[in-house]
Amino acid sequence: MIRPALVALFLAPALAGLPVRAATVYVASQQGAQVTRVEAGAVVGHATVAEAPATVAAGGGSVFLSHPDGHAITVTDAATGVVLRRLPYRGQAFGLAASADGRTLFVADWSGHRVDRLSAADGTVEASAETGRDPAHITLDRAGRLYVADRESHQISVFETERMTRLATISVGTAPFALALSPDERRLYVGNVRSNDLTVIDTQALKPLTTVPVGPMPYGVSVSPDGARVLVTNQQAGTVTVLDAGTLAIAATVGVGRYPEGIVIEDGRAYVANWFSDSVSVLDLATLKEVARLPVAEGPRSLAVAAAAKEILR
Amino acid sequence: MRLSLLVLPLALAATAALAHGPTPQKVSQSISIKASPDAVWKAAGDFAGIGKWHPAIGKAEGSGSKDGGTRTLTFKNGGKLEESLDEYKPEGRTYSYRMGEPNLTALPVSSYSATFTVSPEGAGSKVEWMGRFYRGDTGNEPPENLSDEAGKAAMNAYFSEGLKGLKAAVEGGKSK
Repeated sequence: MIRPALVALFLAPALAGLPVRAATVYVASQQGAQVTRVEAGAVVGHATVAEAPATVAAGGGSVFLSHPDGHAITVTDAATGVVLRRLPYRGQAFGLAASADGRTLFVADWSGHRVDRLSAADGTVEASAETGRDPAHITLDRAGRLYVADRESHQISVFETERMTRLATISVGTAPFALALSPDERRLYVGNVRSNDLTVIDTQALKPLTTVPVGPMPYGVSVSPDGARVLVTNQQAGTVTVLDAGTLAIAATVGVGRYPEGIVIEDGRAYVANWFSDSVSVLDLATLKEVARLPVAEGPRSLAVAAAAKEILR
Repeated sequence: MRLSLLVLPLALAATAALAHGPTPQKVSQSISIKASPDAVWKAAGDFAGIGKWHPAIGKAEGSGSKDGGTRTLTFKNGGKLEESLDEYKPEGRTYSYRMGEPNLTALPVSSYSATFTVSPEGAGSKVEWMGRFYRGDTGNEPPENLSDEAGKAAMNAYFSEGLKGLKAAVEGGKSK
């Protein structure tokens, strides 16, 4: 359910007859300490940030980066890449999720085994919850529920974010790392890095439905906007597995670069961060072929899409 | 959580083995060998045969060169590591594998996955050994001997010394 204020914010430019901006894909390069902006399959800009960013998340016109070894979170302007401020963080910040209005940030503390809700303005910790061991990636749904992949507890922790209380603990495969919601948010897909499989969770019942094999070390998961396909990056094989979301049958395996990690889908294309190759593979979802490989700064791992105004209008 | 170095190995055994931290590092080494790719693969393609050419390894035993195959390495320094194959592709003269439980004596790292490939290069071969590892102490205040830099130094030395050993074994025509 989209908040009325947010709808007005996005409708205003269109109603005023202004051109609606295309969505931007942000790629965070860990060793290169840069964020690269990609639009419609091409690099449009990049910005240097503080050392060793791991995860990138977008919300409300801001782009956020976690620095696990730097006790900080960088906040940049989504349009220009300019660093606006750095939020201090006492723990080992890894997984990030931002509210749609960009005012609230959720941060998973890897070695602190917790997830914090921060004010994106100054980093004040508003509320906290204990997770399982080694929380990796996290994702927020429109109802304000937060899902956390507890990598060494082999489970997903689910929290409501008003008071950060635990709603459920869901067993998955071995070493869950990345996770993605279907567009209707009724399904959560979780990649299990050590059991080389994908767990599908019913988010209404908050229970696992099934687990299916994928390639070795599934470090990234993304779902197509029509909900029809689930894409999984297989780090040890340098491939992406494309599954039919309905049958969970494997529709294709696409070769990408070396040691791929994160994957996002935007406007008919999948973008895959090839961590070892220092590039981003662009896959055409209609043909399931790699159509471009974009050079980026060293060690790209994580990608995020800034929701475009045109998406809200659909 | 800070632990003294003496306590750390015990703590690693007691808590999540196979765990890694949030910031991986690259390792990549290559070498040219004056022999055909098939000749090099004959020596290097035997997953558990690494003990015959790697100077740091005292003994290696394995369950087979195939997907899911494993090998146990006993380092000359006494450390032991088990590794398992994710993909073994003899047609491409390449295999990818991952580390089991860490052993900081063997290598000061908490986790790694790696790929070993033999390719034609001119009249001879190029061997590439590359991978992704996480430092020995996965917290964000690691001691220097378990830091990213220490891990990089150790992994790069381990790979490069191994490749030099392989080159000597193949070009010299006999195992070490």
